[in-house]
Amino acid sequence: MTAHNSAIKVVVTRVTKRFLGENPDVGLALQNVSFSVHTNEFLAIVGRSGCGKSTMLNIVAGLLSPTDGEILINGRPIHGPGLDRGMVFQHSGLFPWLTAIENIEFGPRNMGMPKPERRTLAQELIDLVRLKGFENKYPRELSGGMQQRVAIARSMAMDPEILLMDEPFGALDQLTREDMQRELLRIWDTRKKTVIFVTHAILEAIYLSDRVIVFNPKPGFVRKEFIINLPRPRQKSSPQFMRYYEEIYEAIG
Amino acid sequence: MPEFIVKITTIVVLIVIWESLSRAGYLNPLHFPSPSKLIATFWELITIGYPTGITVWVHIRATVVRILQGYALAAVVAIPLGLVIGRSYLLQRAANPVITFARSIAVISLLPLAIAWFGVGELARVLLITWGCFWAILTNTIQGARQVDMNYINAGKMLGCGRKQMFWRVILPATLPRIFAGMKISLGVGFMIIIAVEMVGTIKGLGALIQQARFYYSSHIAIDGMIFIGIFGLLISFVLDKLERFILPWAVGLEEVER
Repeated sequence: MTAHNSAIKVVVTRVTKRFLGENPDVGLALQNVSFSVHTNEFLAIVGRSGCGKSTMLNIVAGLLSPTDGEILINGRPIHGPGLDRGMVFQHSGLFPWLTAIENIEFGPRNMGMPKPERRTLAQELIDLVRLKGFENKYPRELSGGMQQRVAIARSMAMDPEILLMDEPFGALDQLTREDMQRELLRIWDTRKKTVIFVTHAILEAIYLSDRVIVFNPKPGFVRKEFIINLPRPRQKSSPQFMRYYEEIYEAIG
Repeated sequence: MPEFIVKITTIVVLIVIWESLSRAGYLNPLHFPSPSKLIATFWELITIGYPTGITVWVHIRATVVRILQGYALAAVVAIPLGLVIGRSYLLQRAANPVITFARSIAVISLLPLAIAWFGVGELARVLLITWGCFWAILTNTIQGARQVDMNYINAGKMLGCGRKQMFWRVILPATLPRIFAGMKISLGVGFMIIIAVEMVGTIKGLGALIQQARFYYSSHIAIDGMIFIGIFGLLISFVLDKLERFILPWAVGLEEVER
């Protein structure tokens, strides 16, 4: 992956986030966070629970606004959520009252896309995430892994440039989790996107990403950055992989 | 043993004991009529009616129409109001004491006022049922709207929902199970208060039937009236359950998971 020579997609500049009404030390979630993401780069943000990595992702999503600082996408500052960004949540982001395919059609439907068109689009995505035969199941009838497949398909229905993923596999069992990691790379290979992936699992971060940034907890800021220079598919047991693991583990502290 | 056999056996045994006690003279027939007397009365209520000419079908019809009118009116007002209040922190805090105060006023205590304001006609009765049904629907709708999962709202925002779409496609469907719960509870309330509501100004209705029977000390008729109301309550809640499974197939399973 030669993401480093390509254009810059997202720029985060000196972002500070303070939550109101809390003790000033605790309320300061992010302090002067700066980083950037290249077009079609896969970036992972790792750190301990409560280090502000999810807050950071929500700010890039436009769901939270920063107390200070700025987010640029394609050089333009963002104001709230936009269709250039799709998001996959850890829990219950799927609408339980809609079937799998209706969940995927939700975004296009909001845009007023006629039913036959959005059905076709959703069916393509169903095929992409390999859920053929499960189109008309409700989320509760699907396993955790399948639910996240639907969530990925749904976030891609608007064909966003950027995919934001907030510990999307955090609630899955180990084997399903590893399947989904492979699947995500396959999907990312088919439909190139800029990905920002938040996780506290170091192995997952190294396995997936071009670059890993480590967040400092309370207040959050970028402590260290690692470029993962390994060909895909990566072997989690390889010595180079383990070396990255040890370095990142140490950086998290 | 299948569950329904256990249930039916229990009921049959109780009835047999009751009948034997009556026949042996341990139960005063004036206070505690025997099952056979109740069944005979049942037949009279269907064929001759009480008062004569007003069969039980007329009573049932009058009661059901009243309950459904009052109930529908309550739902039509309480659901939109609950959604608006539930989505506004300010309105919730403003409405809370009013709701707590108003819902603790028993319907029967409003009877004199309702008669003074609306007369002894149908309007007063229907509005009293509305009052009784209103609060359970309102409070459940408020709770449901208030507790819509933030993840759904955020997902909606990321998928391009405007204000209107957020309401119709996210908040309303997410609140529906609680609205339905409120509708079920309040229908039960409607059946409970029907007696009070039919106390004056009418001779039609199951409540009125019981009132008449009480007046003439006919406990066998009063008990039959209660049984009719009970059967109706059972029937309607059965229909509502079926309806819920049909309208909210995705939510019925959720309840089962939580239980």
